[in-house]
Amino acid sequence: MNATSLTSILIWLPIAGALLIWLLPLSRYATGSLALLFSLAEVGFWIEQAARFDFTRSGLQMEERAKWFGDLGVSYHIGVYGFSLWLVGLTVVAMAACTGYGFWVGRDRSRAYFGLMLLLTGATVGVFEAQDLILFYAFFEAMLIPLYILIGVWGGARRMEATIKLVIYTMAGSLLMLAAIVAYGLKAGTFDLVDGPTSASRWLFLGFMLAFVIKAPLFPFHGWLPDAYREAPPEVSAVLSGVIAKAGLYGMLRIAIAKFPDPTSFYRTAVLALAAAALVYGSLLAFRSADFRGVVAYSSLAQSGLIALGLFAGTDLGFDGAVLQMVAHGLISTSLFLVAGAVERRTTTGEFRLLGGMARGRPALATLLMVVGIISLAVPGSASFAGEFLILAGVFQRAWWWSAIGAGAIVLAAMYMLRLISAVLHEARGSTVADEALDLRPGELALIVPLVAGLLFLSAWPAGISHHSFSGPSPAATVKGQFK
Amino acid sequence: MTGGSWLCLLAPLAGTIVILLAGTKIPRVAAAWISTTSTFVAFAGAIWAFLGVHSTPKPTCVSVGALPCTPGPRGELTTAWTWLASGHFSVGLQLLVDPLSTVMMLIVSGVGGLIVLYSIGYMDGDAEERRYFAYMSFFVFSMLLLVEGGNLLLLLVGWGLVGLSSYLLIGFWHERPSAVQAAKKAFVMNAFGDAAMALAFFILIAHAGTLSFGALNFSLTTTQADLVALGLLGGAAAKSAQIPLQTWLPDAMEGPTPVSALIHAATMVTAGVYLIARTHPIFEQARTIELIAAGTGALTLLVAGLIALVQTDIKRVIAYSTMSQIGYMFLGAGVGAYANGMFHLMTHAFFKALLFMAAGLAIHALAGEQDIRKMRGLGKLMPFTKWCFLAGALALVGIPPFSGFFSKDSIVASAVALGTWYGWIFWICGVAGAFLTGLYTFRLWFLVFPGEPSPFVREHYHDHHGREGAWTMLVPVGVLAVLATVGGWLQWSPRWHPFTSWLAPAARTLAAAEPTSTQEYFTSAATVLAGLAGIAVAWAVYSERKIAVPAAPFWRRALEEKFYFDALYDRIFYGPGAWVASFLRRELEEPVILQTGSDIGETTLATGGLVRRIQTGLLRTYVLFLAAGAAGVVLAFLIAK
Repeated sequence: MNATSLTSILIWLPIAGALLIWLLPLSRYATGSLALLFSLAEVGFWIEQAARFDFTRSGLQMEERAKWFGDLGVSYHIGVYGFSLWLVGLTVVAMAACTGYGFWVGRDRSRAYFGLMLLLTGATVGVFEAQDLILFYAFFEAMLIPLYILIGVWGGARRMEATIKLVIYTMAGSLLMLAAIVAYGLKAGTFDLVDGPTSASRWLFLGFMLAFVIKAPLFPFHGWLPDAYREAPPEVSAVLSGVIAKAGLYGMLRIAIAKFPDPTSFYRTAVLALAAAALVYGSLLAFRSADFRGVVAYSSLAQSGLIALGLFAGTDLGFDGAVLQMVAHGLISTSLFLVAGAVERRTTTGEFRLLGGMARGRPALATLLMVVGIISLAVPGSASFAGEFLILAGVFQRAWWWSAIGAGAIVLAAMYMLRLISAVLHEARGSTVADEALDLRPGELALIVPLVAGLLFLSAWPAGISHHSFSGPSPAATVKGQFK
Repeated sequence: MTGGSWLCLLAPLAGTIVILLAGTKIPRVAAAWISTTSTFVAFAGAIWAFLGVHSTPKPTCVSVGALPCTPGPRGELTTAWTWLASGHFSVGLQLLVDPLSTVMMLIVSGVGGLIVLYSIGYMDGDAEERRYFAYMSFFVFSMLLLVEGGNLLLLLVGWGLVGLSSYLLIGFWHERPSAVQAAKKAFVMNAFGDAAMALAFFILIAHAGTLSFGALNFSLTTTQADLVALGLLGGAAAKSAQIPLQTWLPDAMEGPTPVSALIHAATMVTAGVYLIARTHPIFEQARTIELIAAGTGALTLLVAGLIALVQTDIKRVIAYSTMSQIGYMFLGAGVGAYANGMFHLMTHAFFKALLFMAAGLAIHALAGEQDIRKMRGLGKLMPFTKWCFLAGALALVGIPPFSGFFSKDSIVASAVALGTWYGWIFWICGVAGAFLTGLYTFRLWFLVFPGEPSPFVREHYHDHHGREGAWTMLVPVGVLAVLATVGGWLQWSPRWHPFTSWLAPAARTLAAAEPTSTQEYFTSAATVLAGLAGIAVAWAVYSERKIAVPAAPFWRRALEEKFYFDALYDRIFYGPGAWVASFLRRELEEPVILQTGSDIGETTLATGGLVRRIQTGLLRTYVLFLAAGAAGVVLAFLIAK
């Protein structure tokens, strides 16, 4: 197998797995095993891809290109850059953990469920690998369909409301993006992301950006977020905030910033202001949230803001920090939602006033929540600290006040995350915490520990990502040169 | 010598990992000994590193005036791997072995080893001993990373990790709400400091492009240098509990007593002084900020000394005394006498760890009681504790020949050496502080140790198999009592100063802060007399009861309320912050943002009712509409561009 086919395999393997699961009349157990097998194979292929990736080379790698609608300049064009490699890795690892979680809790209507999870994996990888706008759009939309169903069918009591909101918000963004794509492609004569020229059109930039700020999300386009994160099954919330949200941020980097340099400069301050608002607003609301998932949901909003600050800083440190932080936050958020799921399974609730004292007698749960919580509040030395530090140092070169706001938000992050930790683990035992509510089981540990191990590894060597995302000596120059 | 530094750093980390992974597979006492052994191995590594530096030739470059020798002579930097990199900016995982870091390594691992050993007896029987020792080892690792870190970012990493371990250990008894609150408060106050430091580093990155210690010599504009120094001072003040970021330290006494001895007396809280000494080139570029650091120290030493006068909890008295003594160290480092500040840091580590651990013996023997008003006459039952505590108390007040005398007096003398009006103000603060120190220390002493045991003491006292405590507790206390007595003889600045010479290549004392012998002698006379006066007043008031404590309800209340800092911060920071957050949720998030989606949904449904007529059921109509709509938008974009 040559390196190029890995790119395609990573997209189509899980989708083939989904079709297989839908076709074969397997038992729940067999379906889950098969899905897990596919998602683990996916991780294996990604490791192979990372091993073969040449970080010293510039430009697109493992590229595959086939004619699709030749007349319109649309092609099946995929490939990876350093930063997309990391996001694909995040996707396959997080999806494997979440698929495993679904298997572990035994979701009903298992064939539908696991098929959708695999479809979601393939579509998301496709978003990060597509180098043609039409293909990108197809994957972007394909990613949403399984999500709607996963939340609408397997979600909590208010799942329909959450789903409808999600549909309305994301459709609004997507349609404008589609229009922007068509307009861009007709003007440029090609839909190719690598060959396509830059554009100075502010309207097109805004069309793309609206889709991305809804997806990421940034303040005030996050209306869908709290409900979706609370009502979805925990592993779907994990995917949504850990991985899918990153598609929006990736879009900003790959399309909005790279293809629209002039509009990016023009709207820079406005986007930075939105990002800073998301950071502060999300942190404040996380501090007042009354439940586990609420805190994680609003902290994801804050983190999206932070990453967007890094991207729109337009400096070397900002770009590298943003990519590092996307991966770090992806792992953190996935782990936190899975832990939230574990807590909810033991107590039937995530509300702080009903929780507490879970550390006593549950060392594994306490240790994992503590480690992830502390990494998420960016304690110095952690991967997320490294990311935040680079982002804020990067945006400092734009103007000092963005960093000052960011530094303030770091203090707020400490406040809300410590509040979460002590509300769940410490002080008196909450009314729903039964004495016999068990510690994490080996199955749960097998899903969460690898994610945490990844975070610890990244904490020991954040340069592994920050210095291996953009080719060439200066990331800002690489982005400006459209990654060539 | 670099081998020594890596051994020193990694041994405690290995201890943590082993204890964590072994879990319940090893007995509790094994965890305790793993932690203790690893800390002493770290001490061995520190000695190795020290000897290595000692055997390298003296620096050949001669520093002129305020300019230090650069790059740090008599030091060696080793890099394990590139930790963080982006563009042209890169930071290695690197350790620096030089005179300054070896002194800190020796103090941290040596005193740390003794305190961890003491913990074995103190924590014996606690349900979660293993977790305690894992945290303790992790703290020692973090502290060593802080002092060995070979660049500013790694220093910040150690800085943050000691804050984390402090949080974990203050809140060790996590079922006590007060402990959890205190832990969170300590972490958040320190997060302010971390943020200030990070901002200072951003300025350095933007202008010098690097975070190596060499960046501090980069010539910045006055404003930039001032801001960098101010950010570092913010971090230092938060970590070292100096005004205005001091409120977390007294509450931190919620942690187990050995934790207070190790983290909140001997090592972590003094890190601010180390930071100033380490980053002195930038403070010398920003001399105003450096003097503000000295002023902060002078103010804190007085305020904390005053508050200590009315405390009734034995650990809180010592905690305020710690704040006050760190005030002296800030004063010393701030005027430019870095070695004097560092020397006081060392002797303070000895006598303050001693005082905490002796207090721990008393608390342990009285089944957890910490109220000094109930402890009268304890000395009769605990003579060893009594004499050790006395050695620590005399060292703290600075009575010759105990160690504090040698280190504290030279700081006050450096202040007067400035020869300016503020130099004299610092001098007066230092001498007044000595009086307060004598007063609060011996108030504690006279209330607790002499005389006949009180009924409470008789009823609650229980010994440990005929001794005052387990041997693991008594031995470290004895060793530290010796160190607190003789540790200061290393240096008496008017006559001999090996400590200052040792540090000179890393942090040379400013010429302006070098006192004459006359200044040294009369300062010593003044501070010793002030200390003795404080002891005399304490004796008259609390032992002989010849003088009544003045009522002065206003002042008493102000002191008991710790000068209202906590209430003030609640009013101006926490209160408004929480209000804004609630307001946003109530007025913006819930009614507007979360409602928008639903509103759009309802509007769509309503509109749907109206346009139902278009629903012909014919596919081709739908396709037509879809295509027309999309084309319309595309057209709009094309026209608008």
